[in-house]
Amino acid sequence: MAASVDLSLDNTYEDPSRRADLVLGGMTYGDITDNVAEIWEAGRPPTAWYIVFGIAVVLLGILGVCLLHLFFMGVGVWGNNNPVYWGFPIVNFVFWVGIGHAGTLISAILFLFRQNWRTSINRAAEAMTIFAVVCAGLFPGVHIGRIWVFYWLFPVPTEHLAMWPNFRSPLLWDVFAVGTYATVSLLFWYMGMVPDIATFRDRAKTKLQKIIYGVLSLGWTGSARAWHRYEMAYTILAALATPLVLSVHTIVSFDFAVSQLPGWHTTIFPPYFVAGAIFSGFAMVVTLLVPCRSLFKLERLITIRHLENMNKIIMATGLMVGTAYGIEFFIAWYGGVDYERFAFINRAFGNYGISYWIMVTCNVFIPQLFWIRWFRTNLVAMVIISIFVNIGMWFERFVILMSLTRDFLPSSWGNFYPSMIDILMLIGSFGLFFTLFCLFCRFLPIIAISEVKNVSPQTLHAHGHDHHEEHATAH
Amino acid sequence: MHSRRPGKITSPIVSLSTSYVRLIPLGLLIGAAGLGLAYFMSIPQGGLKRFSYSYLVTYCSLLSMSVGCLFFVTVQHLTRAGWSVTVRRIAEIFAMCLIPMFVLFLPILLPVMMQRDDVYQWVNPAWLAGDREMFREIKNAYLNPTWFAVRIVTYFVIWGMMAYSFFGKSLQQDKTADPQLSRKMQKSATWKMIILAATIVFASFDLEMSLSPRWFSTMFPVYFFAGGVMSAMAVLILTAALLQRSGRVTDEITVEHYHDLAKLTFGFIFFWGYIAFSQFMLIWYANLPEETFWYKFRMGDSASSGWIFWSLMLLFGHLLIPFLAMMARTVRRNKTYLLFATIFILCMHWVDHFWIIMPQLNITMGATDVSGSDPAANPLPFSWLIDVPCAIGLLGVYVAMFSAIAADRPLVPLHDPRLEEALNYRNA
Amino acid sequence: MAHSHKHEKPVETGPKSRLISLVAQFDDPHALVVACDRAREAGYKQFDAYSPFPVHGIDDAIGIRRTRLPFFVLAVALGACVFALFLQYYVNATDESPIFPGYKFFISGKPLFSLPANIPVTFEIIVLSSAFATFFGMWILNGLPRLANPLQRIPMFRRATNDKFFLVLEAKDDKFSENRSRQQLEEWGATAIEECHEDLTDQKIPAGLRRAGILLLFALLLPPALIYRVSGMTYRQPRLHVVPDMDWQDRYNPQTRGPNIGTPERPRPLFADGRAMRKPVPGTIARGDLTENDEYFRGYKTGTAPSESQSGPYAAIQDGMAAPETPPEPEWVDVFPEDITVDADFVKRGKQRFEIYCVACHGYDGNGEGLVNQRAVSLAATGDAAWTAAKSLHDPAVKSQPVGRIFDTISNGRATMGPYKDQIPVKDRWAIAAYVKALQKTGIKSPADLANDQGTATPAGN
Repeated sequence: MAASVDLSLDNTYEDPSRRADLVLGGMTYGDITDNVAEIWEAGRPPTAWYIVFGIAVVLLGILGVCLLHLFFMGVGVWGNNNPVYWGFPIVNFVFWVGIGHAGTLISAILFLFRQNWRTSINRAAEAMTIFAVVCAGLFPGVHIGRIWVFYWLFPVPTEHLAMWPNFRSPLLWDVFAVGTYATVSLLFWYMGMVPDIATFRDRAKTKLQKIIYGVLSLGWTGSARAWHRYEMAYTILAALATPLVLSVHTIVSFDFAVSQLPGWHTTIFPPYFVAGAIFSGFAMVVTLLVPCRSLFKLERLITIRHLENMNKIIMATGLMVGTAYGIEFFIAWYGGVDYERFAFINRAFGNYGISYWIMVTCNVFIPQLFWIRWFRTNLVAMVIISIFVNIGMWFERFVILMSLTRDFLPSSWGNFYPSMIDILMLIGSFGLFFTLFCLFCRFLPIIAISEVKNVSPQTLHAHGHDHHEEHATAH
Repeated sequence: MHSRRPGKITSPIVSLSTSYVRLIPLGLLIGAAGLGLAYFMSIPQGGLKRFSYSYLVTYCSLLSMSVGCLFFVTVQHLTRAGWSVTVRRIAEIFAMCLIPMFVLFLPILLPVMMQRDDVYQWVNPAWLAGDREMFREIKNAYLNPTWFAVRIVTYFVIWGMMAYSFFGKSLQQDKTADPQLSRKMQKSATWKMIILAATIVFASFDLEMSLSPRWFSTMFPVYFFAGGVMSAMAVLILTAALLQRSGRVTDEITVEHYHDLAKLTFGFIFFWGYIAFSQFMLIWYANLPEETFWYKFRMGDSASSGWIFWSLMLLFGHLLIPFLAMMARTVRRNKTYLLFATIFILCMHWVDHFWIIMPQLNITMGATDVSGSDPAANPLPFSWLIDVPCAIGLLGVYVAMFSAIAADRPLVPLHDPRLEEALNYRNA
Repeated sequence: MAHSHKHEKPVETGPKSRLISLVAQFDDPHALVVACDRAREAGYKQFDAYSPFPVHGIDDAIGIRRTRLPFFVLAVALGACVFALFLQYYVNATDESPIFPGYKFFISGKPLFSLPANIPVTFEIIVLSSAFATFFGMWILNGLPRLANPLQRIPMFRRATNDKFFLVLEAKDDKFSENRSRQQLEEWGATAIEECHEDLTDQKIPAGLRRAGILLLFALLLPPALIYRVSGMTYRQPRLHVVPDMDWQDRYNPQTRGPNIGTPERPRPLFADGRAMRKPVPGTIARGDLTENDEYFRGYKTGTAPSESQSGPYAAIQDGMAAPETPPEPEWVDVFPEDITVDADFVKRGKQRFEIYCVACHGYDGNGEGLVNQRAVSLAATGDAAWTAAKSLHDPAVKSQPVGRIFDTISNGRATMGPYKDQIPVKDRWAIAAYVKALQKTGIKSPADLANDQGTATPAGN
């Protein structure tokens, strides 16, 4: 045992003959439960939590003030104007929706691909998805002008108006896609959390806790019959969420790509947007989980290997995005359409060229550092790189949007200048996001306890211990 | 509880054994007969041009399938997959077919080098007459015989080296049982994947998109890739099922592997549909003349051209029917059912390439109007006596190639460090 | 924990409490699976295992059959597909319905029902419905949510969601006997065994809570009820202006004075003529005002227009009811133009429009005896007014007119009859013309005929 301690704390080794342990330090089932539940049971959270939460609430307040100002003054308070009718709001919308995609990828797609390492990170990533979608929905939601008739977005029968939404409009597809995405993510997240809420219920001390967690856990007892249906439902939801996550960013890309604007009308947009979304989402997961892991002492559950895997995915999706940039440029040249060619040259060397190079640097060049193992496994380095990726992905949407400033007719050209409200609302949306995330860390299980137990060495070795001596000795 | 199997090969026969001695001449014979008949029947209908188009359809179907297998092998190493070890060798052999596939491309490449525009219209610069100077310069810079040949050779060199590297190391591991070889393959799979992606992108532009040199779509490489991987998954199931029916590798490839491969087939059917729909929808919706003509021709519904029938056949045969048919767990675990389903899917893969390539024959054979509004000049270029024998003939050659590469080599990796995991995997 | 335990104790040992199951604890999942295997082999049917995570292989050990949830979801998905396509077809491709009519409008030249553009929403609706079906279907099949479970009264059982594994043998099983079962459980490796007794505490929801719940349910109904109430109400007060600068925008309207771009002392208009906007290019036609087709818009054959413009009806009116001079006539069409399809619905529409616009003078039968006419004739008889009696549409002179001429009369008026082209859209005018032709065909019935009609109708009616 003593000799294998070192090995069991470093699980980033590459040995094709054995799978790395995903839970380190010989944790038992009880240890895993305690490790996660202690965050919630602790009398008061760490000081860092209060600091982050405090800042987030202040930023949320700024967002609230900006929104009130917007409601009373109208959308003119933004920098949106002819010819850039969609300014920061759509950039922020696409940015936040994209962030959300990593959560679904981890919880659904990696589940279907049987990537066991997802279990330690999927809960927090799914929570991130939901909060990111909340932030995303905010921007188009307040952009509709007369927000008090927002329900006209939905096909609500009106007896006297005889008015319906236009189902051939990509913007309406967005309403359905983002609405479905938010709902399904919420169902998936909650369903995954029920067994863990039941764990909290059974550990609850105060009457209030007992009532709240008792109601939320729906009377879950962990019966084998219930588990059977639960696992089936989980698989079905994963199978539904996988095409859903593709469709959501695809439909977001349709907002641009169905138009005829050079730089927007490109058929590769759907998969390219999806790859970019996952790219930015994973970066956000890394940004969130590395501090969480240290703060809540989860090093044995969220191991370096987990983080390294995520960094590899960031690198892979970054390369996909880079390839798509390349294909776009090639076809803009090969297609021989003057407007397309101009749009792309202008993108790199025109009025917003600087944002193009920020985007390329952050999205294509910087993630290449992950080829080096040190960057993949160093906590500080990976957080810095992931923040760069998020900056780069925000700029990617900005670059795409700035195609509007230079269209077919030079006489209709114009530049875009964000207003102070634009900038404050972008910052404020981070306040909303982090407020929700902090609350989640405080009151809900941030690691899928039951799923981690299922892939912990204790379970995996229990299955094979009587038939497979090698594993037993290695342990 | 189920007892674990040790990581040992237990099947009595794990190779083609001596059958390949019979399969090679048989495949070549079928090839000669099929291709000969196809060429003979083409003579009254446009000769080499007609034959080359038919040849290209089957060639591209097989090529994209082989590239799909190469992708499969690369991605299995990249993700350190354990379940797929027992079917990976078959994919490696299919990927190896890419080396002789270069020779099979010479009937298309040599005429291009000899400045014949039978297949690729752009070989003759006259197609640009009347275009703007800038447009001519761009198109001539990319689409010219020399540069085309250089690119094609590059693709095949890269694919060949990749396939050979995976196959060679894998065979070496059969002898040495060295787990470090797996590690090497995993490491190299990273940059190999990048190069593979780049070559697939440009190969799809060169082989199929440049048939209609004015048309362009950034999605096209993904479309080509999606169909290729789907067919690769299908052909792996089909090959495994046929091998097991003939009593080979009976113990190693279990129903779980069929189940997983069928799930992947299902996934890529859907992915293909997603890509095909996105490409179509964006072009249909924006309705720009420089793009939309490609689809407009394929949606022509006049009695004689009838491409809409082929388009609908793709919608139903390539997407909806296989999607519903591959959905249920029970069918994914039924070998006999999968045998028929994969044959159907592979036929649809061929139809897909027919639908991409053949309309160009219509356009270049007499039709002056690209929009296809002159039906009389556009007879549907499908012929039971040209396209079917040509497909069967080329398939025969392909089987011969497969047999020659497989020879008496093992059809499963004998000492892969993850063999035990693959043998014991059970789907939930 | 200990606190609640104390309260439970008397209930558990009370005389009425019945043993409902034996709860056995195991320390690792493997032991649980083995025990389940044994229980099934021993012939137990009513038992279940409880674990903090899904234990691999336990389904076979207990003999759980595969759930039918996927089929349920598939059925919902197919239904959602049909529903979504129907919704989009109904909403964007139809517009006639007694209630909640759809709304046809054309976007970028796409067909009203254009399948490619309807796929995204269809897909999302399918996914959303299937996800709901999965989520709720799973809970319903599992019999959850469940407010109280006697198992949860056993302190040991709390670790079922933490680190222990439980096998619960139900007392209602035929094979169950308290002592033997307990012995078996011990043989199978249970580390602890407890009895689970019937829960005899009052499980009813307190009356106050229930009343509050019912009230809450009703309160939830209020918003939709209020929305239903106000939808379709009309208001006399001006509506609330939430964003005033959207409602009263700072902008120039057509035909108004333009801005002064000079100083107040030396005013300089934006345009030389002082207007805010330019006049359209000569020959500009407003949308919907392109009326090139003579047959359809004017009722005469193309190219047969009279060379000089007709003296309009206004001239006749201003001339003090002088008999109109016969203007040069174009060649009227005697069949309906191509754009018109005359069918039962079209004539019905004509009848309805006729009864709105024409009956006041011409009467329901078209015999020229409408109420206005009757009154005007009676006034004219006293000499208080001048009136040219409305024409009977059954007058041979009218009956012989081609349909284009009737259309023209409706459009431009004749003699004292005013023009109706501004009130009635073109298509409706043709519809009225069609109805007039139909009226003329049936002719006027004499009072005797009418009496006969009624005579035949009366017995049946009574």
